[in-house]
Amino acid sequence: MSKSVGTFVWICVAALGAFCLGGIALHRGESISSAWLVLAAVCTYLSAYRLYAAFIAAKVMALDNTRATPAERLRNGHDFEPTNKWIVFGHHFAAIAGPGPLVGPTLAAQFGYLPGTLWIIIGVVLGGAVQDFVILFCSVRRDGKSLGQMAREEIGKIGGGTALLTVLLIMVILLAVIGLVVVNALKGSPWGTFTIAATMPIAVLMGLYLRYWRPGRVLEISVIGFLLLVASIFCGEWVAQHAVFGPMFTLTGMALAIALIIYGFLASALPVWLLLAPRDYLSTFVKLGVVMMLGAGILLVRPELHMPALTRFVDGTGPIFAGTIFPFCFITIACGAISGFHALISSGTTPKMIASEGHILPVGYGSMLLESFVAMMAMVAACSLEPGIFFAVNSPAGIVGATPAAATATITAWGFPVTPQQMADLARHVGEESLFYRTGGAPSLALGMASIFSRIAGNEAVLRFWYHFAIMFEALFILTVIDAGTRVGRFMLQDFLGHIWKPLGRTSWMPGVLLTSALVVCAWGYFLVQGVLDPLGGINSLWPLFGIANQLLAAVALCVATTILIKMHRLRYAWITLLPLSWLVVVTYTAAWQKIFSDAPRVGFLAQASALEAGFQSAATRQLIFNNRLDAVLCGIFVVLVTTILADSIRIWLGILNGTRSAANRETPFVLTQLRPEEL
Amino acid sequence: MAAIHEFWRIVVGILHELSDQTAYRRHLAAHGVAASGPEWRRFSEERLQQKYKRARCC
Repeated sequence: MSKSVGTFVWICVAALGAFCLGGIALHRGESISSAWLVLAAVCTYLSAYRLYAAFIAAKVMALDNTRATPAERLRNGHDFEPTNKWIVFGHHFAAIAGPGPLVGPTLAAQFGYLPGTLWIIIGVVLGGAVQDFVILFCSVRRDGKSLGQMAREEIGKIGGGTALLTVLLIMVILLAVIGLVVVNALKGSPWGTFTIAATMPIAVLMGLYLRYWRPGRVLEISVIGFLLLVASIFCGEWVAQHAVFGPMFTLTGMALAIALIIYGFLASALPVWLLLAPRDYLSTFVKLGVVMMLGAGILLVRPELHMPALTRFVDGTGPIFAGTIFPFCFITIACGAISGFHALISSGTTPKMIASEGHILPVGYGSMLLESFVAMMAMVAACSLEPGIFFAVNSPAGIVGATPAAATATITAWGFPVTPQQMADLARHVGEESLFYRTGGAPSLALGMASIFSRIAGNEAVLRFWYHFAIMFEALFILTVIDAGTRVGRFMLQDFLGHIWKPLGRTSWMPGVLLTSALVVCAWGYFLVQGVLDPLGGINSLWPLFGIANQLLAAVALCVATTILIKMHRLRYAWITLLPLSWLVVVTYTAAWQKIFSDAPRVGFLAQASALEAGFQSAATRQLIFNNRLDAVLCGIFVVLVTTILADSIRIWLGILNGTRSAANRETPFVLTQLRPEEL
Repeated sequence: MAAIHEFWRIVVGILHELSDQTAYRRHLAAHGVAASGPEWRRFSEERLQQKYKRARCC
């Protein structure tokens, strides 16, 4: 293809993307086809990859294919191993794709489809993908070092230590909030609860199979495990209708929270091969399969979006979480646009597998674009529901009223018609008793996914299967994040406590293992129970807290990236990381300020505590008052930690610019690659 | 046809990587040993210990 034809094709792609973006931005009134969103996203991603990412790769990073990567130089047959770029791409995408890109956009749909969609597309191109790309590059040039190590070496000990503490605190909030998503999806749902409970014996069976019967046959047992999972969904319907088993698996939110806490403790303390690892294998394959199915489903069905472009809740009075579009839309959607956690993955296993520097572009930037597309699919699935149904499922009883009649009347009065009969029919179609007050986003996302899948494979008769399949898929990999996250938190805590008393740092000393597991589980379990008891549904307070924390971690990663760019004498290009960093600082500091000090009780933690204090005080109210103050303190701690790193970074940048500080960075020296082209 | 074959090769490669089967093959080659129950247990314990010390994504 000649250069002029290529240029023409790219101009067409960019023009189509701009046309679709304009279309979704200006369209008002009637429903719109999801094809507009999908085309706008895909064309923007392609243009950004071809132009912006290629510019960063060539001018800013100067990726050098002749330079040996750590995978080649430190090859050890374990973690350092040059690997095919598409395999690393798949591996990296599987690692960064968690529940965040599915839940965040679903919650943000309360503002309408437009704000979230624009943030997902623009945020990933200028922020999230740049962060992942630059951090992966920095780690590859530093022998695969982690974000914490790079922060310590490039910024200083304070920055490094603060980064580690920030990660530990964020993990606690993350595990609590995604635990709450599962609890709200499964409460009062014997079918869903049975299916998820069944995943545990299935995982143990897989663990035993792998260890004793057919060692190493992971794919083989994963296929068997998946078939058993599907069988458990079919059995779940029978269990739910059974006179004895039905009530046994019909659990309250609190009972589910306690079960989850016990599960987290066991998964952290038990041998990893028995429960955690087999679940993780199964969850990874199911996750990739469902994401591909959802992508294909949306392309085939192209559902209409019934949610308006902008809802009345842009004013901050939303029932799912309170707060105006700015800043709350931008912290609610993290993982699909920019997520600090990705920086941990980009400086974890992935840099040790990169065979050539040229692969950093598709792996770092490209995988994040795909993750953003997952978020876009979640937005489409949520917005394809009738808005009345969406709000009836996602609004807490404390906002819309404690009975179906009251809830539907409130939601209809907002301009989103829905009736108790409509909700009862829908619940019956999906095999549930009720779909009201299921805050957290998982059930509404499952409804959207089930509707898309059932239009391809089957009809309304199989809607119940697809709904529970979607719930199983969401809960399965959320639980995998919880059990693996608890274990990671335990290791981090042991690492820290080992400095105080050595035996506590030993991972083979059982009392230390049990104590630190219990501490980590109690920490996130406390916030989970707080969410279950919250009359506003818990998501209202915990998700923004998690969003602020996650975006602040992204700010830490971008501080490290900017410092390294300045040390590389790329000051004129430092804006590529300073731009998203500045945006994140403005967004997160504003959100944190509002969450702590806003006068509106539904927004500000302290205002809510004061409002509760002014009323009747029972033991439960006193607990709520304490919880709100605790959330305010935690939010403040996040801001102080990140301000410390930011101030430390700015001090270093100014020092380098003034010439009072050395610009020496810790990049490993150039070594010519010995890999042959066929080995790449 | 060649493109489909290449695509399939990559899909299988990703599945093997995610299931640690490729890493196990590398481990066997690096240590010059044959696949066996005890060897898998040795490999998986070492690998999983490392794997679950790293932060997970949200």
